[in-house]
Amino acid sequence: MTLKERLKNNRFLRNMFVFLAVLGPGIITGSVDNDAGGITTYSVAGASYGYQLLWTLLPSFILLLVVQEMNARMGVVTGKGLADLIRENFSIKVTAVIFLGLVIANIGNTATEFAGVAGSLMVFGVSKYISVPIVAVGVWVLVTKGNYRTAERIFLFFSFCLLSYIISAVLAKPDWAKVGQSLVRPAMHFDVPYLSMVLGIVGTTVAPWMQFYMQSAVIEKGIRVENYKFAVWDVVIGCVATVVVAFFIMVACAATLNVNGVVITEAKDAAMALTPFAGAFASQLFAFGLFVASVFSATILPLATAFFVCEAFGFEAGINKRIGEAPQFYALFGFIMVISILIILIPGAPLIGITIWSQVLNAVLLPVVLISMIRMVNNKKIMGTHVNNAVQNAVGWASTVILIILTGALLVSQAVTLLAPK
Amino acid sequence: MSVPEVTEKAAGAGASAGTVPNHGENMFIFVSELLGRPVCDAGGRRLGRVHDLKVRLGENFPRVATLHIRRGRGKVLALDWAEVASFSGRKVVLAPGGEEKMTAPDVKGEEMLLKEELLDKQVVDTHGAKIERVNDIHLLIIHKDLRVVHVDIGRRGLLRRLDLLRPVEGLTKWFFEYEVPEVLVSWKYIQPLGGDLHRAELKLNVAARGLHDLHPSELADILEDLDRESQTRIFKALDLETAADTLQEVEPWLQRSLLEGAPAEKASDLLEEMEPDEATDLLSELPEDRKRKLFLTMERPSREVLQELLTYKEGTAGRIMTTDYLTVREDQTVGDAVREFKNTTHPLESVAYTFVLDAGGRLRGVITLRHLLLMDKETPVRGLMNTHLVRVWTDDDLKTVAETFGKYKFLMVPVVDEENVLCGVITFQDIMEERCQL
Repeated sequence: MTLKERLKNNRFLRNMFVFLAVLGPGIITGSVDNDAGGITTYSVAGASYGYQLLWTLLPSFILLLVVQEMNARMGVVTGKGLADLIRENFSIKVTAVIFLGLVIANIGNTATEFAGVAGSLMVFGVSKYISVPIVAVGVWVLVTKGNYRTAERIFLFFSFCLLSYIISAVLAKPDWAKVGQSLVRPAMHFDVPYLSMVLGIVGTTVAPWMQFYMQSAVIEKGIRVENYKFAVWDVVIGCVATVVVAFFIMVACAATLNVNGVVITEAKDAAMALTPFAGAFASQLFAFGLFVASVFSATILPLATAFFVCEAFGFEAGINKRIGEAPQFYALFGFIMVISILIILIPGAPLIGITIWSQVLNAVLLPVVLISMIRMVNNKKIMGTHVNNAVQNAVGWASTVILIILTGALLVSQAVTLLAPK
Repeated sequence: MSVPEVTEKAAGAGASAGTVPNHGENMFIFVSELLGRPVCDAGGRRLGRVHDLKVRLGENFPRVATLHIRRGRGKVLALDWAEVASFSGRKVVLAPGGEEKMTAPDVKGEEMLLKEELLDKQVVDTHGAKIERVNDIHLLIIHKDLRVVHVDIGRRGLLRRLDLLRPVEGLTKWFFEYEVPEVLVSWKYIQPLGGDLHRAELKLNVAARGLHDLHPSELADILEDLDRESQTRIFKALDLETAADTLQEVEPWLQRSLLEGAPAEKASDLLEEMEPDEATDLLSELPEDRKRKLFLTMERPSREVLQELLTYKEGTAGRIMTTDYLTVREDQTVGDAVREFKNTTHPLESVAYTFVLDAGGRLRGVITLRHLLLMDKETPVRGLMNTHLVRVWTDDDLKTVAETFGKYKFLMVPVVDEENVLCGVITFQDIMEERCQL
């Protein structure tokens, strides 16, 4: 027996090989998850509430895991994208509303990504009027001229760069006893700013467009039902990575900014404010992480959005097609890019407002997408024997209900603050 | 009744130009206009709403056979379409006593539900050789009967379904004098992919007629864009020859997936039907035990050819060569070569050359198609053949092969072993494909 055959017959090695082959969708999705909007939310949460909000990462993790596992399962079993399934199984008007919401939210989200690009390079002293156009052109070239798979591999490497947040956090010398205490015995409040922060964290961790992205990535990989258990591990690793990075961002900001009473509204502020407390190196690492995450998501977000809309409405799509072959696809992609860049470059644009409102729209959209998903994943005609079990349904429905209540509360509070006389 | 085949037109303008026979509003109706309409008995009492329409496949333009009515909460009942007295106006009225003939719905293999299995689903448009999404279904009204004639795949249908046609078209007409075009494809070019997992296969067989009009490379493009279920299902519905040709055209990952999805017997038949060099490529990618099983069910001559080809190393001339070619012995005549040509029934990659061999199978020369056509039948090939041989050896690498093609501009180059025995040929197309992949 040759060495090759012996290796082939080793069960453990074979399993490892299959696992490495299916690895990717979950980890990449997990990394895109910690985009500029996410980093901003975690930084602001850490700066404003210290270690108090660390507990929210635990329910976020469970929700993320349950949702992405459903996506992976639907992708593996049906071989169809989420957009595809929604169009085929719900009325065309529901589909149109979901995708209209998705496009608007993602214009806001993409603007946030470019704000992240601008902010992170400002830490290094580059003006946004230089950095944003250059990065935008770079993204366009990468998408239209480059190979998507190559790009994805580059991003997979970049996702490791997000681990730089761990170093930033350690450099900030947090009070680990307090960290542990806040996880075991969370301090709950029931005032409006606290609740909207909680919702913001959950909403940014489990962003609706991720579900579409995750399912497409699984299909792209061509994972078969037999190898599904390995895909689950990929999802678990991705979710853990997401939450770990979020955890260290919050810790870094809590240990420095919150302790010293610094108030921030943007991730860039966090990077800059770190310098006096944790050193210039920690600040630059933080900015570098922000830059990578922003470019990563600024590439994938507009592209994915255009792709899902075309998938649902039956237009030609794909970056390997020429503009004349897939006009709707390129029009939508260009539209999202141009609008979001304009928003950033207009002097005095209400960036914080845009970030908050796109997060709110995310939070409103999330239950709609979740309900659609849970209904489809329980449909035997679609899933055969791979329908949800009782635990998955319980977590799914409970999360949906809690999200709807929180979102309702947030919307009411937003309306009250907007209407209240100053 | 003349039915337009593929219609792409601005609705208003086209109708006046006469591309669609339009004798008033009621000539055609869209399925989306019927769905949800109230269903009443002859006395005007409301029974429920139109839930779905069932057609029998197999006819050129399938007739709506059954009406599915939703009564209150989730309860659906079926009723023969013959019981419908009228569906003009905003409601469907049944013939007297029709309400008593409602039964539990039951859909058989050769039947299809228009809403559940066709509307909003993907179909193959065999005329445009593309996958499209069904935005609406166009029914022709003949007396009281409805027949599926077109499928709407255009933006106009999409807007109509969203109730946005009027406002959007109002704007585009006002600003650009632009009417959103209607894109209808005749039913005879539409290949549904089937909805329900259990019945889909049967349905595809009834309706798979259009697929065979597609070129294998078009079929390959379509298969690559579909989900795995539909891929396997469509592939199963193809006849052996089309399936083998299509298998040669699809990407390697899909080749493996399709072959693994097919039963062993069918898989080995497919490999035999494929060109030997393509089959070898595919086989070399499969796991060892699967390969062995396939060889077991394969006919002997094909098996031996493929097993031999597999012994050559990857990236050599031997690996990409094919063993289908024309030969003649050097002591034979042009007439013999012509007979050999005529007796070769399976398609060859190229018929430009006939190779001349000695009794031991060694390559002696080559004659061209021109010789076969123009020369007297009695002429011995020995006198005609070109003995200035351009050839490659089985273990030559692909770069050498490509250079040989580049230098001599031949359509085909023979491949020989160390003893000069002809083992196979490489065509210009083979080497192009290899070089493109590099």
